[in-house]
Amino acid sequence: MKPTANGKRFEGFERRMGWLLVAVVAFSALLCARLWQLQIVDGQVYTKQAEDNRLDYEVIKSPRGIIYGRDETIVLADNRAALDLVLTPALLRDAEGVCAQLGNLVDVDSAALIASVERAIKRKTPFEQILVKQDITKTERMRVEEYSFALQGVYTVARPLRRYYHNHAAGQILGWINEIDREMLDRNKPRYKLGDIIGRDGIEQRYESDLKGTDGAMIVTRYNGSVPQLRTDVHGMPYIEVDSKGRSLALERRQDAVPGKPIFTSLDIELQIECERILRDELLAEDIVDIQAEGAIVVMDVDTGELLALASVPTYDPNIFTTQSPDQQTIIDSVMKDPRKPMLHRAFQTHYPPGSVFKVLLAVAALEEGAIDEHTTFSCGGSFRYSNHTWRCWRPGGHGGVSIVDALAFSCDVFFYNAGLRLGPEKLNKWAHLLGQGETTGIDLPREVPGGIPSPDKKAAAAKRRKSTNRDDFKWYPGDTINMSIGQGMVDATILQNAVMMASVLNGGKRVRPFVNMALGPDVSEQLIGDNTLRIVSAGLLKCVEKKQPPSGTGREARIEGLTILGKTGTAQVAHMSQLKGRRERNVPYELRDHALFVAGVTNMKPRIAVSIIVEHGLHGSTTAAPVAKKVFDYFYLKRKQSGEPGAAPEAVNVAMHGEPVE
Amino acid sequence: MSSIQRDLNLLDSHIRTFNYRNLSRIDWYLLGITFILIGFGLTALYSASQSLSADASFFSLYYVRQFIAFCLGLTIALAIVCIDYRALISLAPAMYIVVAGLLIAVLFIGTEAKGGQHWLRYGPFNLQPSELSKLALVYSLAWYLAAVRDRIQSALYFAGAFVISGGILVLILLQKDLGTALVLPPVVLMMLYAAGCRKRYLFSIVAVGVAMAATVFFAVDKLPLEEYQKSRIKSFVQPDADPLESGYQIIQTKIAVGSGQMWGKGVGKGTQTHLRFLPEFHTDFIFALIAEEMGFVGGFIVISLFALFLLRGIVLARDCPDLAGSLLAVGCVTIIGFHVFVNIAITLHLLPITGLPLPFLSQGGSFCVTTMMCVGTLLSVQVRKGFFD
Repeated sequence: MKPTANGKRFEGFERRMGWLLVAVVAFSALLCARLWQLQIVDGQVYTKQAEDNRLDYEVIKSPRGIIYGRDETIVLADNRAALDLVLTPALLRDAEGVCAQLGNLVDVDSAALIASVERAIKRKTPFEQILVKQDITKTERMRVEEYSFALQGVYTVARPLRRYYHNHAAGQILGWINEIDREMLDRNKPRYKLGDIIGRDGIEQRYESDLKGTDGAMIVTRYNGSVPQLRTDVHGMPYIEVDSKGRSLALERRQDAVPGKPIFTSLDIELQIECERILRDELLAEDIVDIQAEGAIVVMDVDTGELLALASVPTYDPNIFTTQSPDQQTIIDSVMKDPRKPMLHRAFQTHYPPGSVFKVLLAVAALEEGAIDEHTTFSCGGSFRYSNHTWRCWRPGGHGGVSIVDALAFSCDVFFYNAGLRLGPEKLNKWAHLLGQGETTGIDLPREVPGGIPSPDKKAAAAKRRKSTNRDDFKWYPGDTINMSIGQGMVDATILQNAVMMASVLNGGKRVRPFVNMALGPDVSEQLIGDNTLRIVSAGLLKCVEKKQPPSGTGREARIEGLTILGKTGTAQVAHMSQLKGRRERNVPYELRDHALFVAGVTNMKPRIAVSIIVEHGLHGSTTAAPVAKKVFDYFYLKRKQSGEPGAAPEAVNVAMHGEPVE
Repeated sequence: MSSIQRDLNLLDSHIRTFNYRNLSRIDWYLLGITFILIGFGLTALYSASQSLSADASFFSLYYVRQFIAFCLGLTIALAIVCIDYRALISLAPAMYIVVAGLLIAVLFIGTEAKGGQHWLRYGPFNLQPSELSKLALVYSLAWYLAAVRDRIQSALYFAGAFVISGGILVLILLQKDLGTALVLPPVVLMMLYAAGCRKRYLFSIVAVGVAMAATVFFAVDKLPLEEYQKSRIKSFVQPDADPLESGYQIIQTKIAVGSGQMWGKGVGKGTQTHLRFLPEFHTDFIFALIAEEMGFVGGFIVISLFALFLLRGIVLARDCPDLAGSLLAVGCVTIIGFHVFVNIAITLHLLPITGLPLPFLSQGGSFCVTTMMCVGTLLSVQVRKGFFD
């Protein structure tokens, strides 16, 4: 490179560098002055602090918020004080003796304990507590206290532990908690620290930020070389009073933990337990099903969307995640890998074809859009032909000439094939959207699925996605509309969505957002369905439950004297007809049997509730699911009131009916 | 040596881009201070290593790791001395692109540390691109400013300098590396100041910066910063708002420094650090350890050594007739000076905790190498400045 001087300097460059020199000197002088102030002027004070007293920092974990039931005296989940047995290696007089003694008293591996004590001494951390045993029992605690003279350096520390009072009841709704793992810790820093508890499902997960609270801390001054003794008061709050040598310590500063906020839920836990019991035990006991049923029941206040019960069977006990035991992991694994999926909430975390329950939606849509009216009659001869294809009605002999009220009461398929064709898939989609089908209901619990309502666009999109070459897969045929009209084909809905749809019929045509946290408050839309439509559909649904003489309504088995019950049965096909040919119902393999569904509501009582039921592989909505609704209504409105138990006290009211019972 | 021969020697040292003979005329003043400061650092880290557990392996001891990093850094520094800095400046655009590429790469495949993505790992090598970005920026700006010269007075060219700096700064901010993001603006401002840009541009930039800093101070909760960064700022502004978590570190640091008094407690006898009251005493808070164990005398000597080092660097910038060389010197001096003053001010509780290491003393391989590269650059300018006389 050829050497070149870089030409003339800028004007004032040296002056600017001069200023920099001054700045460096000035800053250095400032730092030295500050150093002088800290070390020489105030040095005595700090030296005293460093020598006599030292500051010790202890985190106070915030207790997790309590989850209450609908009745605010009923606790669903709270915290109990678990006692951990710990020891401080430096304070042990005879480490081996103490460890051997502990091995006898509380059944721990004394050899491993000695090893960890030695490791701590080698690591120069003799004052750090070593955990001997977590969550000791009362007996163990008494034994240790009895021998306390020989167990110097061993003591107990209380720690809040989550307790779910009702074990299996509402397990999936409350959710579970565990220690935060690495990945979640990285995402949630710095609010969470290693060892913190985090909610993993249900309310515990959804309301984690409310339930967590804020950790506090204590700073105490302490004597040279001593260890503050952490104790806990009756509320489980830690405090420090003395050190390991019994000298009292001064608390410099304390910032109390802010406990997590309580969550007041809408759950009527007695009703919840009853619903789970009916599904789990009664159906089997009454020989309605062959093996223990799997299914779900939603009980919702139709005017607000409060969920009184949200049962799903089988369920699980969230306590297994917090109760330490040697085989804890085995228990957790067995629940998580159970083929019956107890951790899945069958009301909103999975979807089913709604079957004839869907006819309620179709009836509303067809009436509102003017595709049919109250007097439109179709003739049912047991089957329906359309361009070389035949669709059957569930009743081989047919229903004769039926209007909309009878079609709902007897669940006539042929009527709805015709009505569906008149209405068309677009308008049906519009009403499905209005009444909350095919999209999440907005329930405040995790992992809700939206289900799905088919449409010409979606069919083509699905065919495109799987790169189909068959032109039929892209085109929407009238046959698709016909299948859709009775809730089969590609129609999928959650049990919760069925409840929301039923609620709209019961509450005057409004859509509600279901919820469990009372703090949310109701979210109710304006009236979506006209009064006339409501009157006609209600008449049909009432007849479905009330009509006694043959041909009786399909929901007949839900009838209770004195209650005005509207209902609609549904039977969702699981297997194709050809697989079942020639078999009698109860000879069909369990996993191929149809699902039994039922939606219903009561209008002449307060609060007005809607129930939505599925009994998986329960065969018929009319014979399996409808009796379940009867049991729920009976328990909610009548039985519990008579026995004088606390809970919601329903009362009979005069509610203007949209239609008179038709007999 | 006759004057002709000296001139020939000088000429010889400049005709080749890489010439090891330059090492013979190295500035022992700068290098000597560097060695003394490193000595202080190793002593402090030796003391800090004693509180490691007894079974810590030799290569995990702080002072061993620091010594290895220093040797590596010194080698690189000496290599830089041998290379003509003008050749390096001509490579600045390439440097800029490579560093920007690494900063983007670290966003995707980096390893996280304390909420920020800082590291690139390849086998045993850990690379911290944000460290390299400091030097790349100094070289890039020197390249740019030496090329535009007087035209920096115009708003357009002034804006150009900000585009160059802004690119790197945005990438650093994306990594949420608050420490490095704080270092870059002073470097840019100082180099622009040295290059003689218009004062009112500089003042308006500083005013905007101060306004942003004020926002940070008074509306910290609404800013898109990591929680730990917010709490650090908050604990300084309102020490009582969160007295326990961040305040704990401040209290313990003050006790450590204050209890050192005039002569210190002696190396290895600092109770605050060895009983683990003081977190991070081997990295960002090493000055507290020095102040505790070596007292006011030790602290004063360290501050003075830094001051002498920086003064020498500025004098070099002033006397170097080559503008590019001057600018390089100003940039390197600013990097080191900013770290020194801010780190010590934090330790003495004059500024909030931000996580800046102390050059030559804090344990940290990447940063040690960066510092030594700055020293190498300064030395490289120094050995060549005579040619222009």
